[in-house]
Amino acid sequence: MIRPVEGWFAKVGRSYRVTLEHAGALGMLSWDTLVSIATLKVRLKDILTQLHIMGVQSLPIVFVTATLAGIVTSQQGGYQLISSSPQYILGTLVVQSVVLELAPLLTAIVLVGRIGARITAELGTMVVSEQIDAFKSLGRDPISIIAAPRIIAGVLTMPLLVGFANVIGINAGMLMADFDIGLGRETFLYGARLNWHSWDLFYGFAKSVVFGLFIPVISVHMGLRTRGGAEGVGLQTTKAVMFMILSILVIDALFPPLLLQ
Amino acid sequence: MISYKNIHKAFDIPVLTGVDLTVETGEMFALFGPSGTGKSVLMKTTLSLVVPDLGDVEVDGLSVYEGPSSNLEKIRRKIGYVFQHAALFDSLNVYENVSMGLPEDEISRLTTAELSRRVWETLEIVNLEPREILSKLPSELSGGMKKRVGIARAIVGRPEILLWDEPTTGLDPINTAAVERLIKRLSTELEVTSLLVTHDVEGGLQMCDRVAMLSGGTLRFVGTPQEFKDSPDTVVRAFVDRAAAIAALDMAVV
Repeated sequence: MIRPVEGWFAKVGRSYRVTLEHAGALGMLSWDTLVSIATLKVRLKDILTQLHIMGVQSLPIVFVTATLAGIVTSQQGGYQLISSSPQYILGTLVVQSVVLELAPLLTAIVLVGRIGARITAELGTMVVSEQIDAFKSLGRDPISIIAAPRIIAGVLTMPLLVGFANVIGINAGMLMADFDIGLGRETFLYGARLNWHSWDLFYGFAKSVVFGLFIPVISVHMGLRTRGGAEGVGLQTTKAVMFMILSILVIDALFPPLLLQ
Repeated sequence: MISYKNIHKAFDIPVLTGVDLTVETGEMFALFGPSGTGKSVLMKTTLSLVVPDLGDVEVDGLSVYEGPSSNLEKIRRKIGYVFQHAALFDSLNVYENVSMGLPEDEISRLTTAELSRRVWETLEIVNLEPREILSKLPSELSGGMKKRVGIARAIVGRPEILLWDEPTTGLDPINTAAVERLIKRLSTELEVTSLLVTHDVEGGLQMCDRVAMLSGGTLRFVGTPQEFKDSPDTVVRAFVDRAAAIAALDMAVV
């Protein structure tokens, strides 16, 4: 009778310990990165390389995702609203949905798969092949060389990609509204302007900065904790993707009570 | 001189349980032991690549764990570390990999021509043809070449101590013999202290001034190669006999 209860408490205790370990390590990693930036140890060339990988190379997939998000929102909005509300409301719906939620969230999810998984697998491989140890043995700081450029690039890239996704998503939604229910561009934009708040744009970008910080921080953290060989890298990458997606969804849920009151 | 003082380390299970060992200046020292006995772990504590749960390491009187953090930086400058699988940086070519072996302040002091010459000379020391491989990525090199580039990276900064972590693992017997000759030659020519962790007992006994054997988390033996061969300790004897059988099998394959 006592054993299952003991086991349950042990499980809860372990979960808390692991959570606190992750939180502590993430905090340390963020702090070390800030120190690297403040002491100018991060090379501009490394940051530019990461900006290219995370930003420029992500444009096609962000374009496709934002286009589809805009199209689907427009179609479903049109279907739901056409009989009950003025058609221009569709402009409000598409713009608000894209700017407040879809562009930041979907871009973040895309970056988790494209960038986060890549960083964890790359760093995990460097750990198991002793390349991280080699950096340390040569007196180099792996945080300055590997972690900091990725984290800086993440924070800078995400808002730009979200801005791009906003433009693409809204335009795709507007075109689909015209094609689907014959809603003209002027009417669509009238609806969009009717309920527009500049704060919404800030809200979306604020989200994107936080996502842009969390994706590389978590992926670097998980990559550096990799143990074992190829199997360890695969396992850690899977865990990292789950960790990043859950974190993004939780952060996303925290934003409305904090910034939309 | 490297002194390991009461080193304890556990990864879920205890690996090292109170290891005391001193490697004298200028000495070539081999550390043997079955797989999983913590040979590489002990070596990695020298540069804080693995932090011991208890104990300290001193390098030329500088404490790694009980002294100021600046000690570690000084110690890292003194030591060249040759990794088991070379640990070359995948995204850098041979030139960049080898030049990473120099301290950052030294790189910034050298002109491009001086840096190139330094890398070039070091590659020649390890019997590689610089012209052919300088711009190659690690993925374009054979196993033996990777090892040599790894050695070049470790010695380019003219270290006083060389740590060799299983330098012949994964090589065929011919390349093994070539790398062992290189280790012996470099240790003599560069007048460095060498600590060698290896499975190749025959090679280690031939090259080194003293040897030690780790077993069950502690040092089972420390002495000269001859004393090791003649040891009456049954565990040492069994290890020597098994190593000799494996070496004979390798030779038969060749």
